[in-house]
Amino acid sequence: MQKIEDMVCTFCGCLCDDVTLTVENNMIIAADNCCTVGNAKFMGKNRLKTPIRKKDGAWEKVSYEEAIDYTVETLLNADRPLMFGWSGTHGEAQCIGIHMNELIGGVIDSTTSVCHGPSILAIQEVGHPGCTLGQVKNRADLIIYWGSNPVEGHPRHMSRYTVYADGYFLENAFKERKVIVVDVRETESAKIADEFVRVKPGGDYAVLSALRAIVRGKGDVVPESVAGVSREQLFRVADLCTSCKFGALFFGLGLTMVKGKYKNVSNAIELVDELNRHTKFTLTPMRGHWNVYGSNEVFTWMTGYPYAVDFCRGVAFYNPGETSAIDILARKECDACLVVASDPGAHFPRACVEHLKDIPTIVIDPFQSLTTPVADLQIPVGVTGIDAEGAAYRMDGIPLKVNKVLHSDYPGDAEILSRIYERMMEVKGQ
Amino acid sequence: MKFIMNTGRTVRQGKHIESKLGKAYGDETGTCYMHPMDMLALGVEANEKVKAFTEVGEVVLMAATDEGLPEGMIFIPYGRHCNAILSPTTHSTGMPDYKDTVVEIVPTDERRKSAAELMEEMGGVPYAEN
Repeated sequence: MQKIEDMVCTFCGCLCDDVTLTVENNMIIAADNCCTVGNAKFMGKNRLKTPIRKKDGAWEKVSYEEAIDYTVETLLNADRPLMFGWSGTHGEAQCIGIHMNELIGGVIDSTTSVCHGPSILAIQEVGHPGCTLGQVKNRADLIIYWGSNPVEGHPRHMSRYTVYADGYFLENAFKERKVIVVDVRETESAKIADEFVRVKPGGDYAVLSALRAIVRGKGDVVPESVAGVSREQLFRVADLCTSCKFGALFFGLGLTMVKGKYKNVSNAIELVDELNRHTKFTLTPMRGHWNVYGSNEVFTWMTGYPYAVDFCRGVAFYNPGETSAIDILARKECDACLVVASDPGAHFPRACVEHLKDIPTIVIDPFQSLTTPVADLQIPVGVTGIDAEGAAYRMDGIPLKVNKVLHSDYPGDAEILSRIYERMMEVKGQ
Repeated sequence: MKFIMNTGRTVRQGKHIESKLGKAYGDETGTCYMHPMDMLALGVEANEKVKAFTEVGEVVLMAATDEGLPEGMIFIPYGRHCNAILSPTTHSTGMPDYKDTVVEIVPTDERRKSAAELMEEMGGVPYAEN
């Protein structure tokens, strides 16, 4: 039995890097310091054992070589291939994905387009006043979670970086820190806040505008109630924000998945900009998949754009709403799809999944997912952080090396994608 | 009655994310959390079934109480069930209205389908050996 410390959990964007794994006979038998979700990931079972291919409506086992051949043939024969996912794999695999997409002239998109894609649009519009989670932990005396429920979505965020964390520059962090939660529902996170601001559905933009007006000294224009929030509470929140030494606003999909989308986030960024005339204030999106931030980094280095990148013209083109996965599938535009490390079968609207079923769809994933039933081929790979390794980016943009602890015969994502890419190059005579 | 459908992550959903064809995942993603006053108005109690309709489809869910929700809003954990009734319209942003879709809810005695059954309904074929 061996205890291995400082392992990285590859579930959410927190990338907790203090996990201790107990390994015996090349099996993980215990995972310490994890949240419930991370623990389930490390202790996960029921991996797909071999590649499987659907023929005449029934699944059959095939070899890795056959699976690679089918993938190469399918993607090279497609007129408008879509390569989606990428947030649940390491940076090295994402790099190969970009090269492959350029070769086949397809569209490559990550799960960003259905999580913080609108946040990136807002950042491109008005900038990003961000910082690392270490700065927040050690300095912030005011935390705001807006449209975010970390208790459920990022279970260790509060204990590692905010509400319950010690701060180097705070004498008694737990007592000194104030916590504000803004949400349409009273979540478990809202229950532990010093100030819970309940906004009527669709009212975030108006509340952000009211706070901006108050912070700007124009509070006299604010009516008695804004989207269900009283004028009195808005002034109280504005006062907490301007009087803190260091404020950190974390926001979730409560801003990006409602009407207004990226405009809500733009307004939040403008509020933080306004607050920086009074004190120090930062803003961080609560990124979901463990390496979704990495997909944006890698895509941007290599193509100039963070997600939804279309190479059909031979050069990179980016126009979310047109070149994003949901839109391409809903228009029934793509004629083949490679899904890497994500599950559109579970998370995409019905019309998109029906189109995946109608075209050749290939999945690269360690487990059977809800995309498997509508796919034509699935190739199992190692799990990064367990039996595969590579680089990942935390939600605040900090790169971390994710090591492996087990030996297995499964190829990693980067290895299988390299083999597919090399075969494509051979076929194309390059 | 009309409601706003809000969808999102829960710990129980996340815990079973790598066994999505299993019962525990489908039980969580097939749950419709509602304010108790809304359940009273609809005449349903916890662990009774409701059917949700939108312009793109319908799905049967198990009702559950959540006093933290505002009246007029339901919450469904991310998964196949909520996406069965979600429109793919993104208003040219790439992002559907995952947290802001109007749905009609009625009580029902129909059976709630599992995530695997919802995939089969679309012509999907689950792999039996896992």
